[in-house]
Amino acid sequence: MQEHIVSSFDEDLNSLSQKLAEMGGLAEQNVADSVAALVNRDVEKAQRVIASDERIDKLQRQLDESAVLMIARRQPMARDLREIVSAIHIANDLERVGDLAKNTAKRVIAIEANFGSQRLVAGVEHMAELTLTQLKDVLDALASRDLAAARAVWERDNEIDAMYTSLFRELLTYMMEDPRNITFCTHLLFCAKNIERIGDHATNIAENLHYLITGGAMTEARPKQDETSTAAVLFKEG
Amino acid sequence: MNDASPAMAAVSVTNRPTSGGERAKMEVKNLRFYYGDTLALQTVSLPLADRKVTAFIGPSGCGKSTLLRVLNRMYDLYPHQRAEGEVLLDGKNILLPSQDLNLLRSKVGMVFQKPTPFPMTIFDNIAFGIQLFERVSRGELRDRVEAALTKAALWGEVKDKLSANGLSLSGGQQQRLCIARTIAVRPEVVLLDEPCSALDPISTSKIEELIDELKSEYTIAIVTHNMQQAARVSDYTAFMYLGSLIEFDNTDKIFTAPSDRRTQDYITGRFG
Amino acid sequence: MASYASRRIGNNVALGLSLAATLVGLFFLGAILVTLLLKGFGAISPRIFLENTPPPGSDGGLLNAIFGSLAMTIVAIVIATPVGILAGTYLVEYSRGSRLGEIAKFINDILLSAPSIIIGLFVYTILVVPVGHFSAWAGAAALGLIALPVINRTTQDMLGLVPNALREASAALGMPKWKAMTHVIYRAARSGILTGVLLAIARVTGETAPLLFTALSNQFWSTDLGAPMANLPVVIFQFALSPYADWQRLAWGGALIITVAILALNIVARVLSNIGSVK
Repeated sequence: MQEHIVSSFDEDLNSLSQKLAEMGGLAEQNVADSVAALVNRDVEKAQRVIASDERIDKLQRQLDESAVLMIARRQPMARDLREIVSAIHIANDLERVGDLAKNTAKRVIAIEANFGSQRLVAGVEHMAELTLTQLKDVLDALASRDLAAARAVWERDNEIDAMYTSLFRELLTYMMEDPRNITFCTHLLFCAKNIERIGDHATNIAENLHYLITGGAMTEARPKQDETSTAAVLFKEG
Repeated sequence: MNDASPAMAAVSVTNRPTSGGERAKMEVKNLRFYYGDTLALQTVSLPLADRKVTAFIGPSGCGKSTLLRVLNRMYDLYPHQRAEGEVLLDGKNILLPSQDLNLLRSKVGMVFQKPTPFPMTIFDNIAFGIQLFERVSRGELRDRVEAALTKAALWGEVKDKLSANGLSLSGGQQQRLCIARTIAVRPEVVLLDEPCSALDPISTSKIEELIDELKSEYTIAIVTHNMQQAARVSDYTAFMYLGSLIEFDNTDKIFTAPSDRRTQDYITGRFG
Repeated sequence: MASYASRRIGNNVALGLSLAATLVGLFFLGAILVTLLLKGFGAISPRIFLENTPPPGSDGGLLNAIFGSLAMTIVAIVIATPVGILAGTYLVEYSRGSRLGEIAKFINDILLSAPSIIIGLFVYTILVVPVGHFSAWAGAAALGLIALPVINRTTQDMLGLVPNALREASAALGMPKWKAMTHVIYRAARSGILTGVLLAIARVTGETAPLLFTALSNQFWSTDLGAPMANLPVVIFQFALSPYADWQRLAWGGALIITVAILALNIVARVLSNIGSVK
């Protein structure tokens, strides 16, 4: 794209993109680390994740400030306006992703003493692999402004939802079998929910990218297969 | 709406809002304009929606002022300028030689970039225009003058000095006086040629407020260099470049997601 | 640094030369005025305004000459002003770029600086010879022909100063052209055009050569415009060349009167143009 006549405008826009890229990288790393900490019961790693989230928060604040200043100074139009507005939204999503990774890391420390079935943890790990792929793909699509890749991410969200639904049922069953499992399973449930939310945020970013490139919203309803809000497992006596 | 000219293929005129929706008060059809032998406007076609504001934007020399001045045949004052094609006002072609120019200009008024009050009192500036076309009693004349000045948001500032010379007002007030003078004769269309270029920001805001109020009664066309102003005041925007119409659409769409790359480059300040 | 010093020297030299030239001009101007005052003041008395020109060797005044000059100037201006203003208006407003307009402007500029004796000769041929005698009408005609190009030219200049935006604004309101002219354009150029008329009067007041051929002069009081009429310039010419002291004194008095009149007209013209430009 041709450059602005006022070159500092281009520099400002580039710095927005760089901040987003940095936030994305950190968020990705933190998600991966939090899940690895969960699987390997690595408390030190979990604590590193918690500490590193502060940097993501700081970047989001800086990006917000820059974006507001750019709007005041430059009165951006068309594509420039969409770049700045979508940068604000995407930074928001990435900051939430960081928070969710931090939450998962905190729970690693909590379940350390109450560890239960490794098989259930594997279920969460499997979900996390898919989510991490989504996150990576959408951040790549953002960097290269690839509309088709964004759409692909958007459509795959239902796979994660389906996995989450089945994991939800399994954990409920496990909890009902033995009350001593409840602490462990509850934390695991929240970790699974966090990872499902991270998948949703990746889809949000894809929607924002679509707006950035085309100027319009993705009009169809997002495919959802998260049925946990209506899921129930019957309690069997005996 | 048939503009079947081969040159139109090069233009991405996407949305024609008045082709189904609103009435077009004026319509430009295949207009070509010449300064001597030089072609300045190349087959331009667009509608002016009734009681809406249409803005013409584009870099210097793109022909937006030229286009505006065709709408009230101002070019007729100069011997070497001519227009070909059609410009319809309520369906009638005003480019025909049989068109009564004074009648046309009583229906299509114009406000210029530099405020041009007549060398008379403030009262006479307004009254003179009214008396050109109508016989009004003294009392009614006073009422009409007051109404025009009130509509132009100037009455409060001048009501105690109506007999002062029009040139004794400040720049912003003079421009509002010119607007009052134009609307006093009850035109149907008002053409504004960069009305705020010579004014300070506060006067500019007052005039933008005025445009907002006027558009419920008049069809307005405005040429402006200030894109943010075009985005603020207009309903439809026409982007012109090198004498051609590049894009014409709803203002909101032009300024958030324009269809043509050239439009985008111009409004984001990338024009090189 | 050397070039700066030499530039300063050059600057000072040029400044000095300009100053010297100004002083030389002013000196001669001053000398003329002082001589006029010294020689003419003695002749100024109520008598000069009350009595007619005397026969040689006796005392008198310049009443008939003053009257004659006034009468002929007034007639000349009354004829030349409307013609000059209307012609100037046509050349600026209605004949933009046309060949006729350009030629007319060119001819007017030539007439502007035509030697007044030629104008006098022309009027002599058409208004004096066929009639058989000199007359004040002929004198007024000659003065009018001298004033006409001046008024025409200043009207053109003043109308040219009116911004085009005003014409466009009038047209945009739907005003017919003649109304725009009378109510807007003329009003805007009013003080300038008036100044032009005053300057034409001042110019015409001192013309001598054309009057020699047309009105000549008259010893006696006369209000008959069809006959020769006394006027200040010719009387001055006559009396200054004579050997009579009385007559010479009256000539200086007449010269002073003309000078004061022209001065007054110029001052009024200057004041008017200042009022006009304070907007």
